[in-house]
Order: sequence, then structure tokens, then C-alpha cells
Amino acid sequence: MTIRACLVDELPPGSSRIVPGGRFGIGVFNCDGDLYAIANYCPHDGAPVCLGPVTGTTQSDGSYQASWIDEGRILRCPWHGWEFDMRTGKSVVSPTRRVKTYPVRVENGCILIDD
Amino acid sequence: MTEIIDAAAHPFPANQDDIRAYMEEPLAHLRFPGLDGYFYPAPEEEYATDLAPDGGPPGSDPVLAARHLLDGAGARAAILLPLTRGLLPDLDMASEVCAGTNAWLAEQWLEHDPRRFFGSIRINPSDPPRAIQEIERWSGHPQMVQVAVPLQAHQPYGQRTYRSIWECAAGHGLPVAVHADALGGNEFWPTSVGYPVHYVEYAAQYPINYIVHLMSLIAEGVFEDLADLVFVFADGGIDMLFPLLWRIDSDWRPLRSVTPWVKQAPVDYLHDHVRFCSQALEGPTTDAERAPWLESVDAEHLLMYSSNYPSVASQTPAAFADLAVDARQRVLGQTALETYPRLRAALAPEHQTDEA
Repeated sequence: MTIRACLVDELPPGSSRIVPGGRFGIGVFNCDGDLYAIANYCPHDGAPVCLGPVTGTTQSDGSYQASWIDEGRILRCPWHGWEFDMRTGKSVVSPTRRVKTYPVRVENGCILIDD
Repeated sequence: MTEIIDAAAHPFPANQDDIRAYMEEPLAHLRFPGLDGYFYPAPEEEYATDLAPDGGPPGSDPVLAARHLLDGAGARAAILLPLTRGLLPDLDMASEVCAGTNAWLAEQWLEHDPRRFFGSIRINPSDPPRAIQEIERWSGHPQMVQVAVPLQAHQPYGQRTYRSIWECAAGHGLPVAVHADALGGNEFWPTSVGYPVHYVEYAAQYPINYIVHLMSLIAEGVFEDLADLVFVFADGGIDMLFPLLWRIDSDWRPLRSVTPWVKQAPVDYLHDHVRFCSQALEGPTTDAERAPWLESVDAEHLLMYSSNYPSVASQTPAAFADLAVDARQRVLGQTALETYPRLRAALAPEHQTDEA
């Protein structure tokens, strides 16, 4: 089943919206021109994960050395702060868990989600 | 047969001058706090008087101690952990007391029974260069199997000021034992909310401060940086370990990005980096509850039998009689042999002879 989310023009870079779909709604995000569709359900505790901020995260090669990576590619759950890589859906802190992601494409200026 | 290693027993000098004799001038002639300088003195006796030699305090005679600790308890070896004088404001004096204590321990105790007495290198962690010097000084001694530091500290032990000391200890295969020292210096409040009135409150609460060091070591990434480092909490406290660690475990996930060098959940660092010595004052008081309780605190992997000699809270190996045989063997000796590579090496030739 294909869901028509919105027009591309209605979702400029840096913006997102939640559209009907799945059991909890689907968040559609435009990150610098890349589109992501993510189920609005955190696998940790069921929070509406797509209401959280889109941000970056840290990685480290040893104590006191933190670098900022993946700016604009990390969705941070508004309830307990779990971080998810929007490209894969995988949790940063516990990579065996993930948010559900959907294939997303553009046709005739319209954003389509394949559910 | 179960091999018994006593992971923490405390030898005491007969008097202050025993240590002084091994200290160097210009500090050796100056006064420093004595053993009874506790600001929470036990109301009666903290140390079992029937363990006292004629004319000396309990735990001050190597002959008597060997009889009690090793022959009496059936222990193959004992790791001796002498106490120093806590956080003396004079850093050089604190380091010199450590140096004197180490020399005294080596000559008066380790030489007395070279095959069964093993020792701890006392250091003053408030002076890292001098602490490293002291570790290097004794690292060649085959009976020195660990480094020992006070439980009390002016900063938790994970902080970067101490890092070079732990690196040195780990590099020499020496675990770091943490034990409440004989208080005598510029100590903080023994609890985080002030001074309790009675010794009974102090004795029950003070050892739990270990959790502050443990959380600091984890959060500051010490165990990530130093893969071989082991901390031994020699004052007990395993009874509080999991309830307290669960608190940091649950907050670690949302806050991970602030300390990205912490790459596992805090509880996952325990098996490789943390051990506890047994303590008579913890756990359920009925025998029936004891074995299930030991299982629930993962005693099999984290706990090492210690007598705490000559404290009145001394334990004997019988305290673990109800544990399943594999777990009992680990608690009574096997875990200590795995934790202390130098102890294992020192005892190894005899193992081969025994088996042959």
C-alpha cells in the first residue's frame, strides 16, 4: 500500500510532519534534501518518537574525546532520549533495537511512502 | 579440594615506631596520626582481642597471624592489606607513611612466610608522581600482588587526576584494592549528608561510599581505556551493588551521548574490572537465605573470600558452606587466583608439583 504524504514543496529541508499510516502514524522528515519515513513509535517504551528533535550524536576513541557526528541524521526520542539513526532506524545505544522505517520516494512532486 | 585464598587480612604494627623505623628523614622523626586516631572509634573493640599477641595489638604478630589465618582457616595464602593513616594534609608525610608501611610489610611479614603471605603496595593517590614511584619501587617484589588506596578520597577515583596511577598498576598486573583507611587526616563527612552520631551508623554506612568510586570509574571511561585494570572493593558492599548500579544503568541510555566513551551499560563492566571482598556485616542473617542471596549478587564471579582479620567482623570459609560447590570454590579461592596474576604465578609451580 502506498501512502501519499504531502507535496515535496510542503516539506522543506529541516522540516517534518506526521501523516496517517501504520498503527501510530508515520513521521516524514526532510534532512538536507534526504527524505526519511519513520513509524511514530519508540521500540523502547512506545513514545511518539517522531516528536523528538532531529540532532546529531557523539562518538569517542577514548575517555574525554568526544566528536560530534551525524548532525541532522539522529532522531532523539522525546521521552527517554534514546537516539536512532534515521537512515537505518537502528538505536545508537542498543543497535539490536530499531524504529520501523519505510521506503520513501518522490513522484510528480509528491512524497510517497510504501507501507 | 577447595583451595582457599584469603583476599584481605590486615596486619598491624605493634606500635607507631615500627612504621617510623622504615620511614626516611626529614619526615621520620615528625609526629603523624596514630592507629587510634579514628573519629569514629569502635565503642568497645573493633579488633578481636583474643587475636592479640602478648604485649601487642590484634594482628600485630606474623607468627600468630599465620597460625590463625592460614593454618586455622585452612588457607593456602593470604593477601595482606595494611592500613595507613587516611588523607593527611601533608602529602609528603602521607606518601612517606605509605613507603614506610610497604618496607615494614615486606620485611616483617612477607619475609616471614614467603610462600603464603602476599602483600599490597600502599600508595598515596593524592600525589600521582610519588604514587607511581612507589609502585615501581615494589613492582619487582614477587609477593606484592596489588596496589592499595584508601576508600576516602578528595575526588572520586575515576577522575583524570588519578589516571596515570591506574595505568601504572594495570601495566604491572596489579589490581587496585580500595579499603577504608585508618582515619586520621583531613577527612570529609563519612556520609554525604553529614556526621552520624554513633559508630553503629558509621560502620553500616561508610563502606557504601565505594559506589561513588565505581560509578566514577565507569563514567569517566577508565575501564574502556585500561582494559587490564581491576578494582577490588575490599571493604565489602556487594550487597548494595546491583540496586545502586541499576540506577546508573537506566540513566545511561538516554545520557549516553554525553559520555560516549562509555561503550557498554555500566553493569557490563563488572565481570572484567570489579571484584569485592566478602564482609561479615552484609547479607541475610539466616543460613537458609544466604545461598540464594549469594547467587543473586553474582558472588560466583564477583566475590572473593576475605577474613578481614583481625576485625571482630572476621569471617571463616564456613560462611560459604551452603553455596553450590562450583560457586564455593570460586568464592573461596579460584576467583582470587584469576584476579591476581602475580599470586597465580607465585603459586603456580606448587600447583604443578601437587598434580604430578
